[in-house]
Amino acid sequence: MDELQSAEETAFAVDEITDIIKEAVETTIGTSSYQHNRINQWTSSVVEASLNQLTKLGKPFKYIVTCIILQKNGAGLHTASSCFWDNTMDGSCTVKWENKTMYCIVSIFGLAI
Amino acid sequence: MEEYHSGEEVPFNPDEAINCVKECIEGIIGGVDYNQNKVNQWTASIVEHSLTQLVKQGKPFKYIVNCAVMQKSGAGLHTANSCYWDTATDGSCTVRWENRTMYCVVSVFAVAVAV
Repeated sequence: MDELQSAEETAFAVDEITDIIKEAVETTIGTSSYQHNRINQWTSSVVEASLNQLTKLGKPFKYIVTCIILQKNGAGLHTASSCFWDNTMDGSCTVKWENKTMYCIVSIFGLAI
Repeated sequence: MEEYHSGEEVPFNPDEAINCVKECIEGIIGGVDYNQNKVNQWTASIVEHSLTQLVKQGKPFKYIVNCAVMQKSGAGLHTANSCYWDTATDGSCTVRWENRTMYCVVSVFAVAVAV
């Protein structure tokens, strides 16, 4: 394992990743309304598309991508996450997206190898 | 098909983690109804307690614990996750819990650290 990499290459790039996720969500459900029978497909597509783009960045990270899609119905939803990792190298970011009929929350966790 | 590495690398054991998380959830929201004022506090407590118990196991893993609490009101909710890691040593587990007024979904991801 090559450890002589510059700090920029090995830092968790929150902005780049946020853009990647926004694009993945827009492409998958950007113009759709909540549909019960397609939702499984949508959540899978969002996580797969996001993960594919992230791995293309070629950085020395393991990734975990989670996606929640919630119908807009007045229900309350709260999420929290807690991480035990290396604060100097690992990181996370969360993207919240919504349209008229649903909310989509995508979280990425990147752990340096 | 699993490869067992003798010595330092141990694969993630989801059963222990599931029990640990179930106990944490029961302890925090076991007998209560959905309450908008308290839900923030509940999700934070669940993830903190679960993480503390997992770390106490002393295994060579980094952990991510994610918790979602949703009011039961007929809305549809779907979650998915995808992971890019070392499938021999890393793993995850998800616990789904519910009572009369709410659902709680907790996911634990464990990523091995080089010892």
